[in-house]
Amino acid sequence: MIYSLEDISKSYQSRNGPVRALDRLTFDVQPFERVALLGPSGAGKTTLFRLLNATLRPTSGTLSFDGNVVSEMSGRELRRMRRRIGTVYQQHQLVPSLSAFDNTLCGRLGSWSLFETVRNAARPTKRDSEQALAALEAVGLADKQHARADELSGGQQQRLTIARVLMQDPDVILADEPFASLDPALTESIASLLLDLVHNGKRTLVATMHDVDLALQYYPRVVALRHARILFDKAPSDVTREDIETLYGDDSGSKVEVRIDPDIQELPREFRHKQHRAP
Amino acid sequence: MNSGINNIGRRSNERGWRESPRLNLRRIAAAFAFGVAFILCWRAAAIDPGVLFAPGTAAALWAFLLGLFPPDLTPDFLRVVGAAVIRTAALAIAGTTLAIAIGLPLGVLSTPTLWQRGLLVEGEPPGPAKLAVAWFSRSCHALLGFLRAVPDLMWGLLFVVSVGLGSLAGVLALAVSYGGLLGRVYADVFEDVDSRPLEALHSTGATRTQVFLRAIWPQAKPTIVAYTLYLLECCARSASVLGFIGAGGIGYEINLSMRLFEYGQVLTLILALVALVAVTDFFSRYWRRRLHANAPPGSLAYQNIENERNFRTHAGRRTRAMVVVLFAAVASSFYLTGFFTTTRAGLLSRIARFGGEMFPPELDPMFLRSLAVPLIQTIGISVMGTLTGIAIGAVLSLPATSTLVFAGDDEAGSRSLLGRGARAFVYYSTRLALNVLRSIPELVWALMCILVVGLGQFGGTLAVGLHTGGVLGKLYAETLEEVPSRPVEALRATGARPLQILLWGIWPQARPTLMSYTVLRWEMNLRVSTVLGLVGGGGLGQAIYNNIQLGFYSRITTIVAIIYVLVISTDWLGDKLRNRRTAI
Repeated sequence: MIYSLEDISKSYQSRNGPVRALDRLTFDVQPFERVALLGPSGAGKTTLFRLLNATLRPTSGTLSFDGNVVSEMSGRELRRMRRRIGTVYQQHQLVPSLSAFDNTLCGRLGSWSLFETVRNAARPTKRDSEQALAALEAVGLADKQHARADELSGGQQQRLTIARVLMQDPDVILADEPFASLDPALTESIASLLLDLVHNGKRTLVATMHDVDLALQYYPRVVALRHARILFDKAPSDVTREDIETLYGDDSGSKVEVRIDPDIQELPREFRHKQHRAP
Repeated sequence: MNSGINNIGRRSNERGWRESPRLNLRRIAAAFAFGVAFILCWRAAAIDPGVLFAPGTAAALWAFLLGLFPPDLTPDFLRVVGAAVIRTAALAIAGTTLAIAIGLPLGVLSTPTLWQRGLLVEGEPPGPAKLAVAWFSRSCHALLGFLRAVPDLMWGLLFVVSVGLGSLAGVLALAVSYGGLLGRVYADVFEDVDSRPLEALHSTGATRTQVFLRAIWPQAKPTIVAYTLYLLECCARSASVLGFIGAGGIGYEINLSMRLFEYGQVLTLILALVALVAVTDFFSRYWRRRLHANAPPGSLAYQNIENERNFRTHAGRRTRAMVVVLFAAVASSFYLTGFFTTTRAGLLSRIARFGGEMFPPELDPMFLRSLAVPLIQTIGISVMGTLTGIAIGAVLSLPATSTLVFAGDDEAGSRSLLGRGARAFVYYSTRLALNVLRSIPELVWALMCILVVGLGQFGGTLAVGLHTGGVLGKLYAETLEEVPSRPVEALRATGARPLQILLWGIWPQARPTLMSYTVLRWEMNLRVSTVLGLVGGGGLGQAIYNNIQLGFYSRITTIVAIIYVLVISTDWLGDKLRNRRTAI
């Protein structure tokens, strides 16, 4: 088991008193598994991610990573754990005034000493710069290596975040709405890039998204969060229209019309998950 | 559709009727409180407009103005002026360098995102170490606040007493007080960078130092450079004033010439001071533009990266030359201010002895009671001085606002050549007047005002008012010019007159910024008011001066503590006022 969550809760202190962002979550993630995390805005997806990459600590419950309990780790162990977890954020998480090349190099920070950090800011070692260039090549940004991150287009920035994760070479990839604010063509290309990354490197992937079709199409397991709790945790073939409508329906009872592509529903399961291989 | 519009109208009417009555108890009470405060401040600042119109005043002013001309331009005196200018510039450069050395580490240590709260900190294992780091960071923040709250001249006095007369005291005073200011600003800038890249790097397993170097610093650098260069300007101004208390340089010479009634020399020195400030201004602006440091992070031009990349290549040669020049300037400044030569073994023991004599602070009730009147005088000077400044600034800012003065000029042929010439004359002469008011420091104004209206708080108030008028007038004019132009153009298109454009198009948009500048200026004036007494401008400064002359150093500690409390409470009050005003 790579992740094991037992009764995980997380509350914040807000101006209007404590707010429960996650409420007694229990589930496991196996190595090399691909999990899609669905849920309306405010369901707690981002908080869950911050728990999974140890940016936040759970208020109660036990979170284990690769057999070790996260809340018992020292600062050094936490950093070592984070080094094994690559997070693909939305494009705004790049350092705007650094070049694409430098942003890629940042993926390696966790394995550098302070001296190496300073030296690599001035002149990176040959090995590091070759790896960074290879990562940029893999995402198709080799010609943009000197451009500042904020000069890139939205799609290029999103690919750059993936290059940073490639450079980090993690065991687990957490992707927080990697397709938000991308047009359909770009979504397709980034989605396949991400899945290639997971397949080739034998990595575990947990991704949040808004697009139900995409989740059902590409992921063998779908976990849905609603009101800080798990609504369902199923294989896509078992996900019904009612499930989705409950997930995104608002509280007053009126259902939101959700379209599920009938073709995808009827495809055999094995085939469905290999679709991303097709061009 | 129709009913919807009617509904909106009715709703807003109801709200207007219910929530903002013209007269209610709270408003009356507030108005009353303001009235009482105003009268108290008026009395405390010893405002006496009668003095201004008394026949003696006009005669004194006339004699002074006659004395100013012609300026003393004899070669001997010019040599003195040159030496003083170089000394002041050296003081400013050395002071800024040391201020960076103090402000940068303390600023990093007091940045809340790095050590106290937020996503970089929350995931760390809890424990005494984490708490200790957070408290250490908070105490660095408090230390910076203290360094900044005590006025630079007060620091100057303390250092003059502890390390002796001379430039070294001035450098240390600048370093400490502007180090505090810089540290605070640096911490704010580090805190304000986009936090999302920080989270991203942190989640790859980067340490806090790495996150700082690779995510915070690259984002903050342009602002940091711009502010540091701006600080050099402030230091140049402050360095000239520090001369008054014995740090040498222009201020010292002005004070001397004033006492010798050599007003022609005073005019030459003031012109030199204005020129020095203008030159620093120019250089700081030039460097800021060259380093693309004016733009907010994230919107810099392409050249920035090119500059960095070309540092070692052909195009970088000039940049490298500039670095060499900068280094040489800093080194020679330290040499000129005697930073290396005066460091002797006796110095440390002297400072230690002085520090020892400052403690414990004097808490005798009699002494504390004697401070009450100067304290109220200081507050009165700051309030009335700021009000005078607002009046001067408001009046002078309108003819200095190019969008108002030259309004309608784009309609070809609509103005005669004469009309345009007259407008340009009004605009440029007002700008010049504002620059003169602004370039002369409060202390120099105080010396001149005292000459005309006599010793006491009124002279100090006038001095604060004149300088503040220059500063606020320029800020007001710039704010009015920078107001988003579309609504103004729309108004102009309806045929509105300049006054109508001002009241309906510009004022509503500019009001929050104007309020914010004014309140900020009041906070700064309070700091100045505490030291005006050093030259006879009334307030706490007088008490400081007397006690230093008498060697009652433990009393100085008490006064410094009072100033600190006074300044932080005004800052607090100012923050509240600003937030309220901008929210409206």
